[in-house]
This record gives sequence, C-alpha cells and structure tokens, in this order.
Amino acid sequence: MRIFAATLRKLVRRPASFVTLGLLTGLLALILIAVSATAGQRSGRAAQEALLLVTFPGAYTLILSFILGLGGLFAVIYGAAIAGSEWNWGTLKAAIARGESRSRYQLLSFAGIALMIGVGLLVAFGVGVAVAVVGANLARVSTAGLGDSKAIGSLPELLGRGWVAIVEEGALGFAIATLARSQLAGIGAGIAVYFGEQFASIFLPDIVKYLPFNAATAAVATSGSSSFGGGGGVVVARLEPNDALIVVVLWLVGALVVATLFTERAEISG
Amino acid sequence: MTTDGLALATRGLQKRYGSRPALAGLDLSVPSGVVYGFLGPNGAGKTTTMRLLTGLIHPDAGTIEVLGRPFGRGDRHRLFEVGALIEAPSFYPYLSGRENLRSLSATGAPTTPARIEELLELTGLRERARDKVQTYSLGMKQRLGIAAALLSDPKLLLLDEPANGLDPAGIVAMRETLRHLASTGKTVFVSSHVLGEVQQLADVIGIIANGRLVREGPIEQLLLGEGEVRVRVATDQLAPARAALAALVPGEALAAGADQEGWLSVRIEAGRAAEVNRTLAQANIYASGLEAGSNLESLFLELTQAESTVGHEGIFFGIAGGKVSPTTSKPKDGMGGAGA
Repeated sequence: MRIFAATLRKLVRRPASFVTLGLLTGLLALILIAVSATAGQRSGRAAQEALLLVTFPGAYTLILSFILGLGGLFAVIYGAAIAGSEWNWGTLKAAIARGESRSRYQLLSFAGIALMIGVGLLVAFGVGVAVAVVGANLARVSTAGLGDSKAIGSLPELLGRGWVAIVEEGALGFAIATLARSQLAGIGAGIAVYFGEQFASIFLPDIVKYLPFNAATAAVATSGSSSFGGGGGVVVARLEPNDALIVVVLWLVGALVVATLFTERAEISG
Repeated sequence: MTTDGLALATRGLQKRYGSRPALAGLDLSVPSGVVYGFLGPNGAGKTTTMRLLTGLIHPDAGTIEVLGRPFGRGDRHRLFEVGALIEAPSFYPYLSGRENLRSLSATGAPTTPARIEELLELTGLRERARDKVQTYSLGMKQRLGIAAALLSDPKLLLLDEPANGLDPAGIVAMRETLRHLASTGKTVFVSSHVLGEVQQLADVIGIIANGRLVREGPIEQLLLGEGEVRVRVATDQLAPARAALAALVPGEALAAGADQEGWLSVRIEAGRAAEVNRTLAQANIYASGLEAGSNLESLFLELTQAESTVGHEGIFFGIAGGKVSPTTSKPKDGMGGAGA
C-alpha cells in the first residue's frame, strides 16, 4: 500500500501526467468545437453526420470512442514513459537495493498508473461532454438527449470497459519499456506497435481483431456504435464486445506478467 | 573459513559478463563496526561486487553472507538492514529532495518522516529540501544519495565512491559522519579509488584487481608491512651500501640501484629506519639523507601492477597507471624525512 500511495504521489507531480491529459482533452475540445462551428453552417449529409459528434445521447459514445482512440496511443506512451524512467533514472535499482520485492514494486507501480488512467478518462470524458454541449449550442443542435436515461444508465459500463481497454494499452507500453529498459525505446516501440497493428488490420483482419488495440476498441462497442479517432478505427472484422473484453483482459494480464517476470529475472546495472 | 564477527563475507564469488570475468573468486571478510575501504583500479570489479551485495545482480558461483546470515536470491529482507549508494545517486528529477526520500521510504524497511527530516539536517540539505532534484548540483545529489542510504538506519552501509562531487567541506563532513557511524557499531563499506581519502577514513582495506582480492587487512598493519626506507649515499658507495644492506633484507627488497635523484630504496618496515642507518654506519657508509614511511598509493600501485593486464583500464593513453615503480616513485603521504 505504501508503494501504491507513493506511486500516486509521484504521478500526480509528474509533468507527463498533465501534458498527456492536457493534450488529449485539448485535441478533443478542438475537434468538437471545430466540427460544431463548421458543420453547423453547412447543410447536406456530411454535415449532418459530423454533427452527430455533438448530438446527444449518441455523443456520449462517440466522445468515449475518441478518448479510447487517441487516448490508447497516449496510454501506451504514458505507460512506457513511467516504466522506462524507472530504469533510466535508476529509481527501480534504488528500491530493489533497499530490499523491495521487484514484482510487488512493478505491479503496485502499474496499479498507480491504472488509477491515474481512470481519473484521466473521467476528466477527459467530462471535458468532452461539456465541450460537446458548447459545440451543440454553437451548431444550434438540441441538447435534449443529454439527459437520456438509457444512455446515462449505460455510461458506467461503457466507462468501465473503456478504462479496462486503456489500461490494457498502458500495460503494453509499460511492458515494452520494461523489456527495453528504456523510456525512449519503450515509447518508440509502443508507437510502432500501435500503428503497426492499424496497418496490419488492412491485410490480416481475422488475426488483427485479436490484437490489443483492436480488441480494446471492440470491447467498448457495446451498442454497435461506430468509432473514430484511431485505435482500431479501421477495423474490418471486430470481436463481439464481451469476447473482446476477455481478450483485452488477457492482453493486460499477459503484459503485466511479462513485465514482472522480466524485472524479477533482470540483472540490474547502470 | 569462519565468518563469525563479520558484517559481510563473500567466498569464491564469481561473476561473468558474457565471456569476460568480472569477479574471479572474490573472498572478502569485512569485520563488524569498522570502516572498510574497498579499493581497486577501474574495471577491477568494485561496482560488480556492490551490485552483488545488494541483490541487483546474482553471482555465477560463490556465497555471500550479510550480517552473519546467507544472502541469496530469496533473502531480500536482509537488505532491510543495509543501506546502499551504488554508482550515481538515483532520484526522480521532478520531485524535491524531501519527496524523493519520502518516495524511497515507501520501499524496503519502514521509515518515519522524522527520520527523513533528521537526514536532511545531517546532510545539510534542509534548506534545499523543497527544491526539485534537477536543480541540485552533483555534490548535493551525492549528499541526498548518502541520506537515502541512511534512511532505514542500516547496520551495514555500502557506499560506492561517496566522495564523488563533494566539496572539501563536504568530504570532511562525510568522513566524520562515516567515522561516527562506525563508532556506534555500524559497518561502513566504502568503495573508492581516491586513496588519500580511504587512508584517512578506513580501518580495514581490501584491494581488488582483475576480480580477485589481492590484499586485505587493517590499514596500519598493511602499511607497516609494506614500508620503505630510502637512503642517499655517495655514488661510489652505492655498491658497498647494497652489500651491507643485503645482510639486513632479502635481495628482492633491495633496489638494483639508485634512482635519478640518488636515492636507494629498501623495502622494509618504516620503523626499522634506524636499523638501516646503523647497518650503513657499521660499514663506514654515511647516508646524506634518509626517508622512512609508507603510503597507500605505493601499496596499491604495487599490488594492482602485479595483476594488471594488457587492455586494462589502468592503462591510460598507453601509459600504465601501475608502471611507475614503487621503488622510484615519491610517496606523498606518511613519508617522514630525516637527515642522517
């Protein structure tokens, strides 16, 4: 528990936490406002489709989809940055030299990351909804669906699935940086895996649907909603949401097991 | 071999990095309650030893005992009584000194906030405790590293080059602190290649070269046994002087000839300088100068020179660090001159 609390204190003070959240919410707000401002002044089918972004209750799902898409990429980078810096700065070495358990240190550190991702998801979602309301007003779209009880009732499950999905993506970055023992290498490899998977989905959709980023996207598509913003946006074949959630959990557990086992066996120098 | 009364002991410790042996059967015996100076040239295996002693890496063969009990892969709790500063101090640059200590105290043995404040005071960092570590100088980071090593009030302290980056006042303060810790029964294991510093600080030293211990023991005893007396006699009396002194010491302890400044070196305990002088006088040879003493540098160079190999890091720009013969080098410390 001491390590978990200490990790949270470290993450709260870490500039990367604010920069990542700021970038995500900033981009989300920018897109929503830009779409509202331009589509509201045009007519036609394309404009109507664009306005779905700020039309509630469907906007709830689309905002979450955006967060999962871009947020997934940010989660990989964030997870890799945290894990990699422990090796680069020698802070993992210092903890182990004090007799701390390697596995416990890594797992509790990741638990802290998972909690921060959850908080970030809620903040980004809240900001997204608020900006979408502003955007709807700009585009003169009704916000009557904002209080749709069915949509609001489904939000906890959607957010829960979204959290698991982003945490899984963060775990991948965490594991890659641990294997690379480097912040930069972890971030680079994480980004490469992210885009590599999207690229591979064009050619190998039946395989790619089981891969972490596409499975993460599929896990939150409970209402058959469309998605955008990357993170599996070009999925050709998609798993059923519940099957996808199982796959996501398997990837999450697998990534943590790999990171933990590697740390447990690693010869730590430098 | 018994390890009773030892704070730290290694037996036949071996470690390889690929095909390169870093340690080739290291046998260390560190008594409790002393400052132990662990010396060796670059690449001799000092840091590898430190990593092994803190469980960061694992030995290929051999055993380690920490505070009288075996220390292996599953014995991490033994490190709760050990404090360590290995290589460079390791901190989160975006956190303050105090926050870093607080963060580190969440690992290993429990530590109180009062202990953190006490250590900030001890290391002279209280006034800068709220500043981010990235704004600290090298010396301040080193002080914080020493504070981190002392967090859990360890019985055994392992410090790798603790004087790195410290200013003269900081070095004196560190030396006094470490001496004080040893006086309270704690054991301080200091790895260094700053010989003068170790000579002032350590009670016992171990010298390592090429992954092996080449000498270990109380520093005074080692220096006594490794002493040197140098005499200056007239050039035409060099041969008779050598002949007279040959009766006093074995041939290999006697330099083949005088150095460029006319000094003839005799490897003999410094305390026997008068005996050397008397022997010469009895042979009707009167020295115009006599110096007696010993220092750690001479001993270190002599021992590590014998172990040095081609490609060793001690060879710098093609000049071997140990190639300066102890018989021709001028010891800097502890060499008292006496006119004869």
